[in-house]
Amino acid sequence: MATLKLFCARKTVDSVLKHVIRPTTAIQSRSTWKDVGEQPKKMDWASLADRSANTAFAVELLKGMGITLAMMFKEPATINYPFEKGPLSPRFRGEHALRRYPSGEERCIACKLCEAICPAQAITIEAETRADGSRRTTRYDIDMTKCIYCGFCQEACPVDAIVEGPNFEYATETREELLYNKEKLLNNGDKWEIEIAANLQADYLYR
Amino acid sequence: MSKYLEKFSRMRTIIADNGGLINSIKTIYRTDELKSGRLVGEDGFGNKYYENKSYFMGRSRWVDYSLAVNLDYDASQVPPEWHRWLHYIADEPPTEAQLVKRKWMINHSENPTGTDKIYVPYSTVKPKVQAWSPPSK
Amino acid sequence: MAALGRLFGKVGPSASVILQRTSFRNVSPIYQASRNGSKWYPDKEHFEMWTQPVMYPCEESSYRQPPAHNENAIVTEKHIQNMVLNFGPQHPAAHGVLRLVLTLDGETVVRADPHIGLLHRATEKLIEYKTYQQALPYFDRLDYVSMMCNEQCYSLAVEKLLNIEIPLRAKYIRTLFGEITRLLNHIMSVGTHALDVGAMTPFFWLFEEREKMMEFYERVSGARMHAAYVRPGGVYQDLPLGLMDDIYEFITKFGQRIDETDAVLTENRIWKARTIDIGVISAEDALNYGFSGVMLRGSGIKWDLRKTQPYDAYHLVDFDVPIGTNGDCYDRYLIRMEEMRQSLRIIHQCLNDMPEGEIKVDDNKIVPPKRAEMKESMEALIHHFKLYTEGYHVPPGSTYTAVEAPKGEFGVYLVSDGTNKPYRCKIKAPGFAHLAGLEKLSTKHMLADVVAIIGTLDIVFGEVDR
Repeated sequence: MATLKLFCARKTVDSVLKHVIRPTTAIQSRSTWKDVGEQPKKMDWASLADRSANTAFAVELLKGMGITLAMMFKEPATINYPFEKGPLSPRFRGEHALRRYPSGEERCIACKLCEAICPAQAITIEAETRADGSRRTTRYDIDMTKCIYCGFCQEACPVDAIVEGPNFEYATETREELLYNKEKLLNNGDKWEIEIAANLQADYLYR
Repeated sequence: MSKYLEKFSRMRTIIADNGGLINSIKTIYRTDELKSGRLVGEDGFGNKYYENKSYFMGRSRWVDYSLAVNLDYDASQVPPEWHRWLHYIADEPPTEAQLVKRKWMINHSENPTGTDKIYVPYSTVKPKVQAWSPPSK
Repeated sequence: MAALGRLFGKVGPSASVILQRTSFRNVSPIYQASRNGSKWYPDKEHFEMWTQPVMYPCEESSYRQPPAHNENAIVTEKHIQNMVLNFGPQHPAAHGVLRLVLTLDGETVVRADPHIGLLHRATEKLIEYKTYQQALPYFDRLDYVSMMCNEQCYSLAVEKLLNIEIPLRAKYIRTLFGEITRLLNHIMSVGTHALDVGAMTPFFWLFEEREKMMEFYERVSGARMHAAYVRPGGVYQDLPLGLMDDIYEFITKFGQRIDETDAVLTENRIWKARTIDIGVISAEDALNYGFSGVMLRGSGIKWDLRKTQPYDAYHLVDFDVPIGTNGDCYDRYLIRMEEMRQSLRIIHQCLNDMPEGEIKVDDNKIVPPKRAEMKESMEALIHHFKLYTEGYHVPPGSTYTAVEAPKGEFGVYLVSDGTNKPYRCKIKAPGFAHLAGLEKLSTKHMLADVVAIIGTLDIVFGEVDR
């Protein structure tokens, strides 16, 4: 009860402040509260008659049904999915892919930043020096069942090697098909590079 | 009244665009919908892409999957260059946009799950431990 | 009915005999009517009997003897108990994975015991083992219908510990998306509340709008729900060109969608019958139970963190906070509807006042440098590597930072020990306190009202179970 009194006191203080201080300062009052709760019903004859008529003739029900009926003539908002598809943006974070340089050389240099930042620890990387002396990954596994698609890996990648591509239609029937290895990721990259490159190009201003 | 006549005439043009009544019924059977629009292009798999801006965004571009797949159409059959256009990421279709195709890029393939072409994970590194095979006498 | 009975009587005695023999004679009104027997009602003499103490042995009762004690008789003890009903976790009105053990007296709820923990993922503990940046996506997944508000709260907490001030544009973007999130949440809340009560249509109308707002999320962050967009130090990327136009387009039309829902629900007698005086909580009880947000304002308490302790750009925008009077489901519904309208106002102001400038703090010790810079400057590259491996170190200290999430006060109590990982991260979820008050709200209500009350609580198990 004490708390209630406290809040009541606040209210009176507020109203006093509003009437005393507000005219003297130009600061806009920010404590604007709007009572939207159900108000007590008016009991004069006119409103009583109105209410009774509304009840008797089911006015509000018919109004609601009218709106529902009108909705039937509206163009439906559903899209016929495999034929029509919803809009995406260049930033969309979907299936992962490992990219290549235009020459065909794989980009990933095994810096392991993506492995370090991954909050779900879905990425496993092992690296070795290749015969030509450059450092490359031998293992680049992403457990897509662990991945939370936060996009931190593509943010972290200094060479834009790992990206989350625009594809999201890779649902599988078994779980193991989602344990991607390096070949699969590079394959994805080779398949989707046309679009990935264009999307990165479209979004370069913001990156 | 003229509104309804207009609707009727539109239906007639749509049916005509879909190649007659029989073909229209076939299309409805395959796609649950009958629409007519401008043919924007066709990809290497025989999927045709249409556009009709009079529909709202989300329905204004659509793909008519190749007849070769018949009822086995799948959303993943759309190749990436058209995927970009179909998902409204870009406005220009790949027939107009200059998308760089390099020789190491591979052709699109649909989601292989459920077929015998599925991806099976394997290790890409040499095993750290070599199994010991007992010397045979 | 009596006439029908008489008709059967006239058909012949055989018919009535058959009727009497049949097994349904206890239920058949035909038999009742044709019985022609008079029913005894308590008469005047009967009532006179009760005017004096009845336990006094009178003439009638004096001859009664207690039954003889029989040692061999098996006295069976009749065990009577209330019905215990498991509500959920599979019930569609349980809003996720609520298991509610209801003790019912007939159809009246005697006790409602929420069992939680089915969606427990140990988020708080996991965060202790993640760097400050890695911990961010976990907040999306707490209250998974108001994603960016959670991120905002966490980011504000980290910023407070780091003692940094983010650029004004970032503040406006956060406010803008905070209010879009509020719309997302209230759409879900009102829609599913109506759905639970039985009005299915508004749900579908509102979800169409929800889809559009998810598209804004997707355009700005790349994900439709779990955005990971609001970061400590600002936001991740700037708004793409044209997004603000589309948001403006959307909010100009969204008011109409609210009006439609309003017209279908607000005055509807079924909706009113199901919500007025259901789940009433007094202002005092609401405070004592630790309610916040709409649940508190529904009882008439003027408390909104956006007003009382403004964060981000809320002190720069003008809006009203709706307050209820009765503290019942109906008032809370009205508040949610009004809050959506006020959110539109805020979004409109944010779009108009959106300043130009940076969207992150200009400190590469906290926020990674831009990609172009990172690829050219060695220093930037080192910063990039440091931030994505070790993360930034936060000075020791602790903070409790709360935001007015759509569901109520969402707070993060963050303790830093000066390392790159939080020492402790306690998450104060509004839904938890609300669910704890479910027993208070729902006892002595009908079973069907429990569904309406769960709807009005607007609980999401991502945040209740954490």
